[in-house]
Amino acid sequence: MIDVRGLRKHFGDVEAVADVSFTAVDGAVTGLLGPNGAGKTTTLRMIYGLSRPDSGELLIDYVDVAKDSLAAQARIGVLPDTHGLYPRLTSREHASYAGRLHGLDGADLEQRIDRLVETLDMASIADRRVSGFSHGERAKVSLASSLVHHPQNVLLDEPTNGLDVMSTRAMRTLIRRLRDEGKCVLFSSHIMQEVSALCDTIVILSSGRVVAQGTPDELRAQTGHENLEDVFVTLTGIDEVRA
Amino acid sequence: MTSILRLRWVVFHKELVDGIRDRRSVMSALIPPLMWPLMILVMMNFIAEKRRKADDIKIPIVGAQHAETLVNWLKQQRGVEVVNGPDDPYEAVREGDENFVVVIPEDYNELFAQAKPVEIELVIDRSDDDAGSFVRRARGLLTNYGREIGILRLVARGVSPAVAAPIRIDEVDVSSSQQRAAMVMAFMPLFLVLSAFVGGMQIAIDATAGERERGSLEPLLVNPAPRTSIVAGKWLASVTFAWFSVLLTLFLLIKALERAPLEALGLRFALDAGDIAAVVAAALPLAFLASGSQILVASFARSYKEAQTYVSFLMFVPMLPVFVMMFGSVGPKPWMAPIPLLGQHVLIKQAMEGEPASFLAYLGAGVSVIVCGLLCVGVTTRLFQREKIIFGR
Repeated sequence: MIDVRGLRKHFGDVEAVADVSFTAVDGAVTGLLGPNGAGKTTTLRMIYGLSRPDSGELLIDYVDVAKDSLAAQARIGVLPDTHGLYPRLTSREHASYAGRLHGLDGADLEQRIDRLVETLDMASIADRRVSGFSHGERAKVSLASSLVHHPQNVLLDEPTNGLDVMSTRAMRTLIRRLRDEGKCVLFSSHIMQEVSALCDTIVILSSGRVVAQGTPDELRAQTGHENLEDVFVTLTGIDEVRA
Repeated sequence: MTSILRLRWVVFHKELVDGIRDRRSVMSALIPPLMWPLMILVMMNFIAEKRRKADDIKIPIVGAQHAETLVNWLKQQRGVEVVNGPDDPYEAVREGDENFVVVIPEDYNELFAQAKPVEIELVIDRSDDDAGSFVRRARGLLTNYGREIGILRLVARGVSPAVAAPIRIDEVDVSSSQQRAAMVMAFMPLFLVLSAFVGGMQIAIDATAGERERGSLEPLLVNPAPRTSIVAGKWLASVTFAWFSVLLTLFLLIKALERAPLEALGLRFALDAGDIAAVVAAALPLAFLASGSQILVASFARSYKEAQTYVSFLMFVPMLPVFVMMFGSVGPKPWMAPIPLLGQHVLIKQAMEGEPASFLAYLGAGVSVIVCGLLCVGVTTRLFQREKIIFGR
């Protein structure tokens, strides 16, 4: 479970995150939706402990990120915005490196990697060096690295960005599977359809603030729009900017 | 939670595997150790060849027919060939056609018979540096002939030759032959120091600026590993490459010197096991500072190329003590040992001269560079907390 309360963060004069509070519960997919620059990535970075909030509280399974960031990081798996890889290591070595950094080792680690190779359909690329991999293949390697320690909480920053149709479908299947396993899945996106198709709860961000949150049905009722895209446009105020 | 030591090992192991697979990293650890001994061999052979050539001397003489005894005596000397001098000896020397020319006057035999001094001209060009060794040899030969004749004349008149030699100059060369060898090989400490810097350079860059350029730093830091273990693991991987490079350099330098024409140069170079151990003890700790400073400097760079620029500026630093030692003409002093880089130069130099410094000097030198290296790692760890460095690409 991820609990975010009153999060704020500024860069110079720019208030990237002005006031963000929400809870992402176990066994559910929570979507962080917002236009570019709404503060999605900054919020996620603060949750996974690489960016320090100006104020606010962050709890991961009741562990305070500010007080014990390593313990909090041990409970999450992250697919960051930039998932750079090491071109001279194989897919399996990437997962192994991440696993070892989480304290795993030996036969247990190997078994976990074998299972991930199967789940993510990576058999053909598992023992190849990653240089020259396609975007979809790279995403799989990054995913394997972020899931190898079986985290209770999974954070995905724009996971389908740049993926082709097949890879996107595979990603959605994986997100559903993680939810069915009882994990807490939090992902960010700026694509309405994706969020509406996957999420149990939607948190809509605009200019660093939460402008609405709830189930898709609740959001429809709140705005009076039947179409979720209209909901999004109304809530984020994109319409006003355009007008 | 996983121990810090184990996490450091995990990072170290990954960087080492990554480095060994990287052609750039392997080349930078291998090429200097191969290049420098080769350079020494070529230079030594070049110097020896020049010296051998100076021993074989061709003496152009104008007016040889006036002094047959002198010419015959010269011809009997080892490596001497007498030829007829050019028509205009002054022009020939000025133009550099001849290194020197000996001009014998017509009245040589006449004056010689009367035991009067004969003026023999040695035409030289003092601005011609290359001719210097030939001129010296020719002057030496002529002086020797003169002295021999003088002694014979004194003996013929019943005077002891000792009377004519009130002073005898006896040159005592205080430098042992090993010390002279080390003078020629003054650049060997520099080679070892540079190997410590070049050997781990690429891996230090790849593990920091490379990590930023690829965008792999953020996924790495998301893992629950303290920054200290991550930075320390990278640092030690770079140190390992540097060590390999230093040891290979030392091994190949010794092998090269075994094949160098040292005897022809009047040099002797022999390191016993103790001296080699002393060189190693002085050189290896330096890698902690070299890799530490490179990791620190490269962390500021967003890209591999940018980091290479910064780190190559850093390469000038290990050269400084050499200039101090060579041009400041300062001998090794005990206070130099704990000064990073200067200390290593002095200690390696002394060990190569067969006179290793005290244990305390090695301890001081080692501790000072390791502390400096740790400081660099500490600052780099701080940098790895900065959001500008983690996310800034």
